[in-house]
Amino acid sequence: MRTSDMKNSDFTAKPRNTIAPIDRLIWHYENPDAEAMAAAAGNVPVVGVTSNTAPWELIRAAGAFPCVINSGNPNYPDIGTFMEEGVFEERIRAIFGAAISGDLQHLSLLLIPRTSEQEYKLYLYLREVARQDPTRRIPPLYLYDMLHTRSPESYSYGLERTLCLKERLEELTGKRIDDAALLYAVRESNSARKAIRKLLSLRNPVPRVTGTEALTLIGASFFISRDEYAHLAGQAVEMIEGRAPVAGKRVMIAGSPLNHRGLHHALEKHGAVVVAEDDWWGSRSAGMDIADGSDDLLKAIFEKYYLDAPSPRVFPFEIADAWFQEESTHGIDGVVFYLPPEDCVVGWDYPRRRRFLDERRIPHLLMREDAGSISEECHEQIERFVNNICIR
Amino acid sequence: MAEKQLHCTLAAGEHQKAWFAQLRKDVFEKQRPYAIIQADMPFELFHVMEVPVVSNQYWAAIISAKRLSGYYLDALNSMGFHEGLCRYCSLAAASTLANDPEHAPWGGLPKPALLSARLTCDCLQRVFAIWAEAFGSECLFIDNPGAADLPPRWWEFSRYHWRELFEEHRLKFTVTQFQNLIEALERVTGRQFQIDRLRDLMERVNRQEEYFEEALQMICSAPRTPVRMHEQVANVMAAQWKRGSDWAVEHARTFRDEIRNRVRQGVAACPGERLRLMWVGAGIWHDTDFYTAFEEEFGAVFVWSMYLAFGPDGYIRYGLDDPLLALASRTVSMNEQLHNPPWANEWIVHQAKLHRIDAALVLTPMGTRPAATGNRFIERALEQAGIPVLPVVADMVDARDWDPDAMRLKVSEFLRHRVLPHLNSARRHS
Ligand code: SF4
Ligand code: SF4
Repeated sequence: MRTSDMKNSDFTAKPRNTIAPIDRLIWHYENPDAEAMAAAAGNVPVVGVTSNTAPWELIRAAGAFPCVINSGNPNYPDIGTFMEEGVFEERIRAIFGAAISGDLQHLSLLLIPRTSEQEYKLYLYLREVARQDPTRRIPPLYLYDMLHTRSPESYSYGLERTLCLKERLEELTGKRIDDAALLYAVRESNSARKAIRKLLSLRNPVPRVTGTEALTLIGASFFISRDEYAHLAGQAVEMIEGRAPVAGKRVMIAGSPLNHRGLHHALEKHGAVVVAEDDWWGSRSAGMDIADGSDDLLKAIFEKYYLDAPSPRVFPFEIADAWFQEESTHGIDGVVFYLPPEDCVVGWDYPRRRRFLDERRIPHLLMREDAGSISEECHEQIERFVNNICIR
Repeated sequence: MAEKQLHCTLAAGEHQKAWFAQLRKDVFEKQRPYAIIQADMPFELFHVMEVPVVSNQYWAAIISAKRLSGYYLDALNSMGFHEGLCRYCSLAAASTLANDPEHAPWGGLPKPALLSARLTCDCLQRVFAIWAEAFGSECLFIDNPGAADLPPRWWEFSRYHWRELFEEHRLKFTVTQFQNLIEALERVTGRQFQIDRLRDLMERVNRQEEYFEEALQMICSAPRTPVRMHEQVANVMAAQWKRGSDWAVEHARTFRDEIRNRVRQGVAACPGERLRLMWVGAGIWHDTDFYTAFEEEFGAVFVWSMYLAFGPDGYIRYGLDDPLLALASRTVSMNEQLHNPPWANEWIVHQAKLHRIDAALVLTPMGTRPAATGNRFIERALEQAGIPVLPVVADMVDARDWDPDAMRLKVSEFLRHRVLPHLNSARRHS
């Protein structure tokens, strides 16, 4: 979410049910805190999570309201007192800024999964700021330390950590997480996943929705109840199905996760249609369902996040690259690699993935600018790239 | 190259060089297996299994000191790896990818049997996997559990109470990772791991670090430091890379003895010492003269870096009934202890006070950005303890953006305009 999008978030201004589902989803994407604030105002404990590898279903089954934190001002003046310039992603800076300035005090818990090393550092930093200055209204913190390497030891470690998280959530809400609650939460989140997969099917091979719009509609799922989301997204899908195909070169974005629409918008302005992104905010947000028939639901939930959630820590390369390789060879005319200036991770994957595309003659473009403020020169580059793509 | 005042510094350098020449010979002529590993790995397991190791950071420092970093990093960039990627951990890999042994220091790294790293960041598995592929060697990773519980003043617990200091589940997990590594080493060598040998080695490491601790205490208490920082580093690291070996323990003892003699004889590294400086971060390996450049004009001597100080506090482990668990506790939190809040800032302030530090230079390595985390906390903590700080934005191995004159000028101005007035006013008030 761009800061400018956030300024006027006021949950009382939420569009009423009668308004078209697409507008309501857009509104939620642009007002990511609104439902969480409303839940907190209604005395429902709110658990904020900083990214995608936190088990939503456990939080829900504990009777709390789970939501991804996507607000905050990356330029909040006090951030520089603690965070090194150019080291953290904008989004992590923004979350840090929101936490130390008291903007997350409606949370009963800020759950930080170890999706990336930056999030681990975020945990350590916030913990220390809270220790040094108890007057700051930083919410209680929890590190969910699931590892992402594929080994039996990492698996066991992650499962054990998930059990500890369950206990912490039970303690937080005072509600025991039983199988019935887990099953309910699993079914609810699966229904949202199903709706997202339906939306994704309308992007490729025949796009009926722009990438900018798709990212928005999918992104709303992080901020509202998944029941409500499934319902709204289902309606949105029905409306979109009837649309004429969107013309344009079908482009996929790979690289650093994009929590805003800047790059999609820029590409689509120049004649592309973004049909996929290798990113948990977009095409990879839903993944597969959690097996609701499992006789060990907790394990099934853990496995979903361990085995089916993208993270820069997933290793080895064969597994980390599998989605990219599969998607880029299906109905994609070109790929944009997004490596913002602060990147020091995905850049290691770039030559290997570029080679993969070259071998298949799939055109690609490297973008090193921050997608939040794209220069004229970069716009020209994008335009040239899109123009030169031959539709496959 | 900065002046060497201690005999043992020369001995350490010669030993390293001879050791490497022997390694190349053993590897090329006798096909003996060796390993390339990250600096924060459990070297002890390799030593017990008699697999020689070259540390990634050590090799990067050698390349850098030979002024070859620009050449290799340019080569890396020309392969499509962008300039913003970490340089410290990738420079040695770049020297392999460049595939140009003519240029390489001492003939370059031969093919290792194994590469191995702890996953302390999101890029290391990438660097090491790419590197291993270039060599055609096996690569093994030790995953790194995060710390959620970090009690204050870790160094007061690390020797005797390490079981309580580090969360049990982290230690247990790390042991499983070590067991995988042991299996790999058994496979590579055809030898069987013996736990008693590890216990003996760990005991010798304790002894080695105790010698370092005595050296450190003399540096703290002598009126002027008997040994400059860069010579501490050269001696300590030569021994730490081979910790627990007879040579390393003996070298630590010699280092201690030489310092003791110098203190007894009243010999100071810089007789005109007036200011005691602290260097926070890895060394600027391409310009070690930098560390003596402020002695003449200001009497400013670099007295402290993490390399010597971390030995005793970070490595000593008493109570070795389960040596593998003790080793896990030595390894599992190095990153938190050296770089991240609350442990790094607390420890560095504690060290600054022990060493009577007047001012600190804190390296923010822009070419190794995630390694820069925790720096603001360190800087703030030092300033709050009354120690003026100069942040230094530079890279430890890449000289391409380093302007030696400008940096010297910047430090001189800091000393002249911030440190000296601060000290004068403090003295007036005492
Ligand atoms: S810079 Fe820090 S993390 Fe990197 S090897 Fe050195 S001590 Fe370890
Ligand atoms: S982040 Fe740190 S450990 Fe990782 S590659 Fe960079 S310097 Fe090395």
